[in-house]
Amino acid sequence: MTNIMSVGTFWTIWLLVHLLFAVGLLGALTHQAMAVALPVRRAAGGIVTRFRAVPAPGYATAVCVLWVLTFVVGSYIYTKYRIFVRIPLEQSGYYKTQGFFDFKEHVATLGLVLLPGYWYFWKNAQNPEFDTARKMVTLVLAAMCWFLFIVGHVLNNTRGFGS
Amino acid sequence: MNTATNTAATTAATAAATAATATARATPATSSLAASSRFKAFAISFSTFGPVIYCICQFFNWPMFTFHPATNRLVWGYEGPRPGEGPNMLWYGWTATTVVVAALLGIVAMLLPEHVTRKIPLTLIWLFPILTIPYIVYSLMPWWTH
Repeated sequence: MTNIMSVGTFWTIWLLVHLLFAVGLLGALTHQAMAVALPVRRAAGGIVTRFRAVPAPGYATAVCVLWVLTFVVGSYIYTKYRIFVRIPLEQSGYYKTQGFFDFKEHVATLGLVLLPGYWYFWKNAQNPEFDTARKMVTLVLAAMCWFLFIVGHVLNNTRGFGS
Repeated sequence: MNTATNTAATTAATAAATAATATARATPATSSLAASSRFKAFAISFSTFGPVIYCICQFFNWPMFTFHPATNRLVWGYEGPRPGEGPNMLWYGWTATTVVVAALLGIVAMLLPEHVTRKIPLTLIWLFPILTIPYIVYSLMPWWTH
C-alpha cells in the first residue's frame, strides 16, 4: 500500500469516505424527519415546504444502508483514531473533546440497533398503529445523526487533516 | 375567466395536497420481509431492547472480544491493556455482544405467539434510547470532570 500512497493519504481517503456516507445519511434522515414532523398541507411553497414534501417512505432502506456503511467505515478508522488521535488529545488535555467522542461511539451503536424497528415501521407506513412510533424513531435517529455529525466535525477540527 | 382559473388551481392544489398527505401511507408493504409478522416481532424486540442491552454490556463490561489496535491483537472476552502493547478497545466487543444478544432475543420473540409480542409497548422503542442518554453521560463522568 505504501508504494501506491502514503499511510496518511490512505487513512484520509477512508475519513473522506466516512464523511461522504455521513453527509448522505444526514440529508436523507433530515428530509425524512422534516416530512414526518411537519407534514406538508399545501402542494407548493418555498424551499422549506419543498424540503418537507419528500416521499419519506422511500428513504428508509437508504437510511439503513447508509447508517451501516457509515458505522462500518467509522469503526475501521477508529482503530487508527485510538492510537494516533486519542492519545495526543489526552496528552494535550482535551478531555471533554475525547468524552464527546466516547459519547458519539455509544450513540452510533444505539442508532444501529434501532434500524430494524425503524425499517419495519416505514415499510408498513400504511398502518396507523405505527404512526407515533415511526415518527418518534425517525426523530430520535435524526437527532442522533446530527449529534454524531457535529461531534465528528469538531473532532476533525481538533485533530484531523494534516495533524 | 379568473374564477375558472382559480377553481382549477384550487382543485389541483387540493389534489396535490391530498397526495402529499397520503405519501406516508403510499402503498402497503410490498416485500415479504416487511409483511411478515415474525419479522415484526424480531425487529420490534431487537430495537426495543437493544439500547438497554448495550447499557448493561457497558455497565458490567461484557465485551464479546477485546481489540488491541497497536498490535492488532484480538481476544475473546475482556482483556485489559497489556504492558508495552498500547491501549485496548472494548467498544467493538460491547457492540458485538449487544447485536448478538438482541438478535437472540428477537429470535425468541419470533417463536412466541403473536398475541404475546403484541404486548410490547411501541413507545419503548423510542423511549429507551432517550432514557439511556443520561446513563451514558453519567458513565463518561471521568471525561467531564477531569
